[in-house]
Amino acid sequence: MNRNYTILLGLVILAALFPVVSSSYITVGLTVLMFTGWASSWNILGGWAGQLSLGHATFVGLGAYFVAIGASQFELAPWWSILIGMAVAGIMALLWGKLTFGLHGPYFTLSTIAIAEMVRLVAINEGWLTGGATGVFIDYLPEPFGIDLFDKTVQYYLMLAYAAITLLITIFISTRKFGYQLKAVRDNEEAAMAAGINPTAIKLKAFVLSAMLTALGGGIYGIFLSFIEPHIIFNLLLSVQIALTVIIGGRGTIWGPAVGAAVLIISGEVFRTVFEQANMLVYGILILVVILAMPKGIVGEYAHRLIRRKYANRA
Amino acid sequence: MQTVLKADRIKVQFGGLIAVNDVSVSLKQGEVLGLIGPNGAGKSTLFNAITGFAPVTSGQVHFFDQNVTALPAYVRTRLGMGRTFQTERPYEDLTVLENVLVAAFLKNPKRKEAEEVAMSALQKVGLADRAHQLSSDLNLARLRRLELAKALALEPKVLFLDEIMAGLNPPALKQMIEFVRELTASGISVVMVEHIMQAIIELSDHVVVLASGNKIAEGTAHDVINNEQVIEAYLGTD
Repeated sequence: MNRNYTILLGLVILAALFPVVSSSYITVGLTVLMFTGWASSWNILGGWAGQLSLGHATFVGLGAYFVAIGASQFELAPWWSILIGMAVAGIMALLWGKLTFGLHGPYFTLSTIAIAEMVRLVAINEGWLTGGATGVFIDYLPEPFGIDLFDKTVQYYLMLAYAAITLLITIFISTRKFGYQLKAVRDNEEAAMAAGINPTAIKLKAFVLSAMLTALGGGIYGIFLSFIEPHIIFNLLLSVQIALTVIIGGRGTIWGPAVGAAVLIISGEVFRTVFEQANMLVYGILILVVILAMPKGIVGEYAHRLIRRKYANRA
Repeated sequence: MQTVLKADRIKVQFGGLIAVNDVSVSLKQGEVLGLIGPNGAGKSTLFNAITGFAPVTSGQVHFFDQNVTALPAYVRTRLGMGRTFQTERPYEDLTVLENVLVAAFLKNPKRKEAEEVAMSALQKVGLADRAHQLSSDLNLARLRRLELAKALALEPKVLFLDEIMAGLNPPALKQMIEFVRELTASGISVVMVEHIMQAIIELSDHVVVLASGNKIAEGTAHDVINNEQVIEAYLGTD
């Protein structure tokens, strides 16, 4: 019934063939997949539940740090440290949400910036915990079945699996009760309550799921970087970039995050080579044009048009 | 007949303003309670206090022998209170069917059953042919019916209707009155806030009149419209 699963399968096969066809752009491909995963995770809270977070770098950082510290200090395999990182991210989101979901709209967004900045400062200053401002090196990783986790191609496939998981979960949610509860809370909290929905409980569920999935991607990112600095990984700019990816692609849509990631990462790469110094300017103009012309994002506008056209054809 | 709803000495105070002052109402199974009164009388506030959307300063609300005064609105919905909003509140990004689906999921967690319930609610209010239209594309009269479909899809025991007749033309009004009558025949009890006297007279088993937050009269529709205090509250004295 749901052809989105078929589309996903097709895309995964295509993406899996990419390193075979072109090995020179593998890092660009990896970055697109990574942002697809992060943006899809962010989208559960920011798009489906309508709670715009500018603090998701916190969960990226948590995932990455658990992998790095686990590997460098405890020789803990990354699959275990990623699971721990996800659990910690989930618990943190639960407390974070309980503290801030009394706030609405921009006030919630501001609170996410505040908390994320606090986490960043803790990571920089508490050296005993995080290695401090100098960062942490991953110098050793186990080799499961002889697979070298430091290998770029391996990391590419890890990111592909990550992006696929987040999309799979999004598609799964989209037709079910939980998905509609999220959208109801986003569109009108009072009407949602009149439908028997507890808005705070729904937002908390969305936040926990979103944080855990973001940390999963963060853990793989940690393996990819193999050197983690707190002011880079916990940076507000990363949070903004994740949010922007979804806003450009289409908030609350299945494919918006993937489209946003492809458009932003690939155009960013192209502009850097074509426009040299002016690349950020052109990048900024692109974002502005998309937001002005398509306020619901690329996929969001298309989805609305599709619904209208289908209805017109029936009638 | 069983008493399904009993609001006892409800007081709602916003700062220094007493919006509802010690008002008691009760409702029996299958009956229609009409709430009338001039603008600003506190009808909607009382309505919100009973359904959990306005804080009660003092007094108690009992729903089927359960004290629900301290329960949040969404729990009261789960217990069987269904309501519409005076100003329509569609989920604008969803289609008409999906709007109703949100409500239908309450009692039917499976998509297929929920969709059937939602479709039948849409059929009842005459919106089935617009199921796949975006709700933000509906006109006002249809949004009103969508509100009703959303409340029906909850399969409520008591339905709270907030001015659903307002702005309807005579045939549509007649249709809506007939519709509410059929609902009560099926055992659903109704509380309605309404300005349209025709609807109040034709439907209400019991009418409560509010003015400036106080209950000034109650009884059958004919009792209250001939009550001097009521006439005075609506038209003023000379």
